[in-house]
Amino acid sequence: MATPQTQRATGLWAGLQEKFTEQLHVRLESIVVLVGLAVIMSILSPFFLSVSNFMNILLATSTIGILAIAATFVLSSGGLDLSIGSVLGLSGVVGASVAVNLGMPTPIAVFATIGAGALAGLVNGWVITRGFVPAFIVTLGMLGIARGLALVISDGRVIYGLPDWMLFLGQGRPFGIPMPVIILIVVAIIMHIVLAYTRFGRHTLAIGDNENAALTAGINVDLHRLTLYTLSGGLAGLAGLLFATRINSGDPTAGISYELTAITAAIIGGTNLFGGRGSILGTIVGALIMGVLQNGLNLLAVQSYYQQMAIGAVLILAVFIDQFQQRQETKV
Amino acid sequence: MSNTTKKCAVGMAVLTWFVFSAPTSAEGYGILMKTLANPYWGAMGDGVEAGAQGAGVDYYIQAVESDQAAESQLNVCNTMLERQPVAMITAAINSTNLLPCLKSAQEREIKVVDLDENLDPAILDAAGIEITFSIGSDNVLAGAQGAEYMVSQLGADVIGPVLVIEGLSGNITGEKRATGFADKLTELAPGLEIVASLPGDWDRGKAANITNDIMTRNPDLVGIFAANDGMALGAVESVFAAGRGGDVIIIGVDGNSDAVKSIKAGRLTASVAQLPYLVGKQALENVKTAIEGGYVETNVIIPTLVLTKDLIDAGTEPLLEFVK
Repeated sequence: MATPQTQRATGLWAGLQEKFTEQLHVRLESIVVLVGLAVIMSILSPFFLSVSNFMNILLATSTIGILAIAATFVLSSGGLDLSIGSVLGLSGVVGASVAVNLGMPTPIAVFATIGAGALAGLVNGWVITRGFVPAFIVTLGMLGIARGLALVISDGRVIYGLPDWMLFLGQGRPFGIPMPVIILIVVAIIMHIVLAYTRFGRHTLAIGDNENAALTAGINVDLHRLTLYTLSGGLAGLAGLLFATRINSGDPTAGISYELTAITAAIIGGTNLFGGRGSILGTIVGALIMGVLQNGLNLLAVQSYYQQMAIGAVLILAVFIDQFQQRQETKV
Repeated sequence: MSNTTKKCAVGMAVLTWFVFSAPTSAEGYGILMKTLANPYWGAMGDGVEAGAQGAGVDYYIQAVESDQAAESQLNVCNTMLERQPVAMITAAINSTNLLPCLKSAQEREIKVVDLDENLDPAILDAAGIEITFSIGSDNVLAGAQGAEYMVSQLGADVIGPVLVIEGLSGNITGEKRATGFADKLTELAPGLEIVASLPGDWDRGKAANITNDIMTRNPDLVGIFAANDGMALGAVESVFAAGRGGDVIIIGVDGNSDAVKSIKAGRLTASVAQLPYLVGKQALENVKTAIEGGYVETNVIIPTLVLTKDLIDAGTEPLLEFVK
């Protein structure tokens, strides 16, 4: 495939960009921003550049990272899942309830946590594909239902005292690396491979790019959608498990507004809000950009209100850069 | 340099604009609050600053977006440890969310202080965490003082329904106040029945809704006790909106500036004032003493004071100086 003649200033940069996009399926710009931000933060704070601080950044990003992976799949297919924050809370409460109130062993509790999330996702997917209700509405409704259900099951109270084996998932540090970080890395690698290199992934992007063309090409769009929303819910359940085991409680208020943060991370990482383009590696970079920003500003004792403003600004900036680039590419 | 790289550079320069620098000494005190939105925590922050300046130490105060953001607070706590403070003074959102961070602090020999009695001693024991000291009000006593005042206004022989609005579920401070109130009420006035005890999550809006619902169910409600002022003020709005202002005794806890205004205006009946300014100030002073090897009690209690319109108008009570 010949590189079209565009008005790019240096061949080296363009060549690198292409390599990153086609080989690794991640945008070079995102990585440059992440590294640049890390450099700035290490100049501004002597505490930034240390192994334990990097571990903190990864640990703090783990829950949102898993949610952002869920968001990437759904957004890439042209869908939207607003319920993942509430499903995170519901799953955590279900898992804690099973472990503490019902006294079941850890594997059953873990299964129940992820299963609850997947079930919620399945319901979402079913209503979207069979009921012809738009994803925005269905998942918005599930946002309320899941949150309410979490409060009902927990009676509005936090459920304490998870068993040790379960706590290990959130607080264990094998070889000095926090378990949530290990789980995030493993899930991210698997999901990246799925989205970028398998037929399932290609179909996901195809549906998001042009649903009619995908249908014509013989893809079972409805079944695929159903699978995606179930996957999204299951990942939200996993995130709920990590959250609950990190703070040792099933908290019905867990995950409020997390869905917006997850979508922000996916978009900063290069996922297109309207579908057709997305990469897990990009999303992780996006989540890390937010994580580095928050960690750096925390180290500098900047109040969280300014942090929220900064993240909003980064989001707009990221999409602006993306749109600008798209314009550049279409100029011949 | 391509256009994209230029844009990236500009973007990063813009981001740096948002950054404020702060003292980066590795000898400071780290103070982690819940949220600065409630004036109670604002006053405590002022006290902390006064205490730190008096003691001549470096400090940094952080807070999170809301008093429900449990995971955020844990993340901020972990980050604060990176600055290698000599002491971490924390106001935990619930009894377990900061445990991993406090454990880590203990391993790094950083002194841990429980600001405002948010940690449960039993849970700390089970986790093997030893805190240097805990400072705050006696929340059980505060609840009891609320009950005493309510009975003094209604009379010990009155029969009627009472509503209790609890704090955030799982927060030991709220639990103590609610229990303290309930036990004392039963002891002093068995005719006053608590018809509902519901969590308001420290939220004004939630408390307003709870009050509306319970007033619908019990139109002859005589008293409301809320575990903090924010929620009490929410209850006040509902009661007055229903036209029953003056018929219901409403008591909050904290004595923050909004509550004081409301009491002066004759809306909120009373508030069991904590002295957050004093709590913050003495917390810092005691940490300095502990670090220098001096003796500090494991549980430092700061008194609480029932604020009423008469008390505020008279202005003679010495502790009023610390009500901010």
